[in-house]
Amino acid sequence: MSTELLKAVAASNEWWALGPEIILACAALGLLVLELVTPKAQHRFIPHAAGMALAVVLAGVALNFGKIWDGEELFGGLIRLSMPGQVARVFFLLSSLLVCFLATVCLPRARVPRVEFYHLLLVVTAALMLLAQSNHFVMFFVALETVTIGFYILVSYYRERASSLEAGLKYLVLGALSSAILLFGIVLLYGAVGRVEAGGVVHTGFEFGTVLTFLRENPGNFLATAGALLVIGGVAFKIGAFPFQIWVPDVYQGAPTPVTAFLAVSSKAAGFAVLLLLVHGAFAPLAGVLVPVLSLLAAATIIFGNLSALTQRNTKRLMGLSGVAHAGYLLIGVVASFTVPWAAGAVWFYLFTYLLASMAVFGVMAYVAGPDDSGEELDHYARLARERPFLGAVLAVGVGSLAGIPPLAGFMGKLLLFVAAFHAQLYGLLAVAVVGVVISIFYYFGWIKAAWFEIWTPPAAGTDSPARPLPAGPKWVGVAALALLTFATVLLGFFQAPLSGWLLPR
Amino acid sequence: MIPLLAAAPAYGLPSYLFVSALLFAIGFFGVLLRKNTLVIYMCLELMLLASTLALVAFSKFNGTLDGNVFVFFILTIAAAEVAVGLAIIVALFRKRHTIQVEELNQLKH
Amino acid sequence: MNPSNAQLLQLAIATPLGAALIIACGLPKRFSTKLAAAAFTAPLLIALWLWSQFPAENAHQYAYLSTTYTGLAAFGISLKLGLNGIALPMFLLAAIVGLAAGLYALRSGAERLKLYLVLLLVMHGGLLGVFASVDIFFFYFFHELALIPTFIMVGIWGGRDRNYAAMKLTIYLTAGAMLSLLGLIALYVKSGANSFDLIELKDAVAAQALAGHTQNWIGGLLLLGFGTLVSLWPLHTWAPLGYGAAPSSAAMLHAGVLKKFGLYGLIQIAIPLIPLGLQHWAWKLALLAGIGNVLVVGFVTMAQRDLKQMLGYSSVMHMGYCFLGIAALSTIGTGGVVLLMVAHGLSVALLFLLATSIHHRTHTFDLSEMGGLAQKTPVLAAFFVAATMAGIGLPGFANFWGELTVFVALWKFSHALTAVAVAGVIISAVYGLRAAARVFFGPASEQLQRVTAQHPPADLDWKEKLPALILLAALLLFGFYPKAISQPVDQALNPAPVTLTAPAR
Repeated sequence: MSTELLKAVAASNEWWALGPEIILACAALGLLVLELVTPKAQHRFIPHAAGMALAVVLAGVALNFGKIWDGEELFGGLIRLSMPGQVARVFFLLSSLLVCFLATVCLPRARVPRVEFYHLLLVVTAALMLLAQSNHFVMFFVALETVTIGFYILVSYYRERASSLEAGLKYLVLGALSSAILLFGIVLLYGAVGRVEAGGVVHTGFEFGTVLTFLRENPGNFLATAGALLVIGGVAFKIGAFPFQIWVPDVYQGAPTPVTAFLAVSSKAAGFAVLLLLVHGAFAPLAGVLVPVLSLLAAATIIFGNLSALTQRNTKRLMGLSGVAHAGYLLIGVVASFTVPWAAGAVWFYLFTYLLASMAVFGVMAYVAGPDDSGEELDHYARLARERPFLGAVLAVGVGSLAGIPPLAGFMGKLLLFVAAFHAQLYGLLAVAVVGVVISIFYYFGWIKAAWFEIWTPPAAGTDSPARPLPAGPKWVGVAALALLTFATVLLGFFQAPLSGWLLPR
Repeated sequence: MIPLLAAAPAYGLPSYLFVSALLFAIGFFGVLLRKNTLVIYMCLELMLLASTLALVAFSKFNGTLDGNVFVFFILTIAAAEVAVGLAIIVALFRKRHTIQVEELNQLKH
Repeated sequence: MNPSNAQLLQLAIATPLGAALIIACGLPKRFSTKLAAAAFTAPLLIALWLWSQFPAENAHQYAYLSTTYTGLAAFGISLKLGLNGIALPMFLLAAIVGLAAGLYALRSGAERLKLYLVLLLVMHGGLLGVFASVDIFFFYFFHELALIPTFIMVGIWGGRDRNYAAMKLTIYLTAGAMLSLLGLIALYVKSGANSFDLIELKDAVAAQALAGHTQNWIGGLLLLGFGTLVSLWPLHTWAPLGYGAAPSSAAMLHAGVLKKFGLYGLIQIAIPLIPLGLQHWAWKLALLAGIGNVLVVGFVTMAQRDLKQMLGYSSVMHMGYCFLGIAALSTIGTGGVVLLMVAHGLSVALLFLLATSIHHRTHTFDLSEMGGLAQKTPVLAAFFVAATMAGIGLPGFANFWGELTVFVALWKFSHALTAVAVAGVIISAVYGLRAAARVFFGPASEQLQRVTAQHPPADLDWKEKLPALILLAALLLFGFYPKAISQPVDQALNPAPVTLTAPAR
């Protein structure tokens, strides 16, 4: 490799472009140092430090939102900042901040070390952000694996509890399987593209740009198409699309509630960020293959997710399986985005509404759950509205938004996806989606019913089961966070300007 | 030159790919069909190694070095995965005294 | 247009919603009831003022227009409010029934009264918004805003079978709403206007009408969706069940006003935008409505023993007339439907109100367990008989004009169906009068005597009389002076008559 080339690569190193990720990584290490040097009594401030780090980085990203180095390839082609990438950064930071809040509610109840959780949270967040900016398959794979391995630990974080460990093992086996499939896809692409020389510089199939050019010039290359499909398959695991959804209910149930929320929101969003990045970047010429495949995935995912959620009584499984259905709706948006460019913005809009609503619901779940949060059933919500009206109201708004009931944000998300699908003439998928939404009303409504409608159940004779303790009342931080989420969910239903001006064409 | 290697026939790219695909398939079906968690784990590693083999072969026949570099990343990641995975399996074994998949069914309703 | 009137229209919708928000944020109960009363009254005053100011000669255009951008202007979605000659009577209806339902709720002494009032106020605001929306997205949006509280109210304060009823109501109505939403999005995309603004949609269609088969399938979607919402036979089964279980105020608002959403949508949106699509389905619709809603449901109504269920079925039956009027596809028919919607809304709300008042006195809805209430509560009896007469469609009440006009229009469409419809009037006379006779005249049953011995029934007090009087006065006003409604409606329909080629069959 010539010296000029190395100089050119070095010149493309814009360290500030990765500022947020670097700060988060340093903060993650800082937390560990902090634990070493501070007395044990002060350790309860460590979660706040993690939250502060996330908030500071979030503010920094928001202030420098437009600074993306003109979409140039940085670090010798490893990284490329883009507007969707910036949106993804904000999304992941916001989500992690809320996970941080959930963790401060849940973790003290379990006898587990706390600092490592926040350390991993920050590392995974940084990796998620890198993933959304990656422009090179090596970067992509390393970031993805950092996320996945972080999640293995987080899912099995309640190491005293067999259910959490079991969930961790299941996630580990299936996650590693999907990683292997994805890796094999990358290797096939690398092999298919071969050696490309342009202007004296050698390019390989690891670079998104080179893959794009190769696919455009060689339509119907079997090896490359197979590779691309394997990569999409690996990503489909992340978003929990059918048939890669089998891990979802068990892992969601066994994982600690904050991790379930993190999985449901950030991991899924990461999948979609990557999917949009790939199908509009490297794999764009394969639209003829990808559209039918993704359409089929979307339809199967919606039907499977909704039907299997129908019989669930466990709230975390319910959230997991209904989340599968949401992934299906989002896939419709991805399919539509092949012909309707703004559909990608609609997918992000939907993801943001999903973030707000899911986090609100998980927040209520965190308060309702006792020490063992893997066995939380719908029946535990009985009388919630009477005993904790605030939590009941937050739950109703969150679940209503997930169900897509107007005037809540979730409805606007679905509406935009449907309009996009109409423009793209995906009538079959629309029909499936509508059936799915109607089915979903059934189980979401069941949840609201459990919390709000008083059902008199005869006390079972003999079994004098002890009454469940009252759900913990949220402290002011909890009240503020949940009220904010609820308010945002309602506001976005009426007034979409804060998000639409930013994600959608004006 | 070691005589044994010099006598070896020059295999082409398809041979390497065939072996790689075979390893991948063995690993894949092993994960799906085997019941012992440790064996499943080995099968997962086998799949990663299959990719690595293909990667090295492509790297050699395409004449690009990037594949060889990527192999080191993959090895590092695989090592991290093993470390975490074995830790989970050990912790689970302490709790449940089994590593058979069919007995790990606490999370079914 | 006078800008202050446009702001008044916005205010009318914002008042109940704002009051609901304030009460939900934890206003003490004492102030809540007062605020709620004010918030129920204000829209009616504004509606009356707007009605008096309405430029009758330009009724086909929207008056009091105002546009608020919500951030989706690029998608042609903005909160555009305004009233035309068809919307105005419906808006007035919503304001009247809303006030009556609100006043009745205030005295009901329901458990968790504040929540009840919040939901009712949201429903009221949504209803006013439905009829004031020029943007068909917000038309749908406000409908859902009003619909959601219904589910919750049935679930929390409902009577018998409330859980099943709430669930069934939710599934049916959500499915119907989703289908109609798809139809509306289809209009948005297919018309090429890329706007949900009804005025722009009309312009786009006037410039280039939709292709015939497109009109057909959009018409099918809309009829299926709206039909479910308006309880078109055989998709009506949610209605009697839901109304049977719903608390009185929710039943009044839903049966009286919200249910008219689908019909109103057909008249305001489907007739101008997809006339050929409607024509394609007209006969099928007329047969379903005539045979199914009027005859079949009519006989089912006669067989009911539960007063509230009977009212639910009868409202399903009367929707049949409305569908017949729309299927007749003529200006007269459409105008008649608007009249009938207003009249039926008032009368059915009054009947649900009185049924609940009867229940307070007899502690039963079962007709066979009642009797002889007229001697003890003569005023209640008088109100009930009057409301029944109105429901049947006797002259002097607004319903008469609506039904008459629909029949006249129907005669041109099909003689046989007109005969069916007239037979329906006889059916409704039979069950209406029989119910009145069972409840108020004849000997009291043993159970009732026991109940009345324990709680001697008092006649209507002023807090019950006031809402009933408001509704009855409106019924009589429109009965003796139908021009009040028919004039703007005629003006709205006539300058732009429904243009149709001769039916193909």
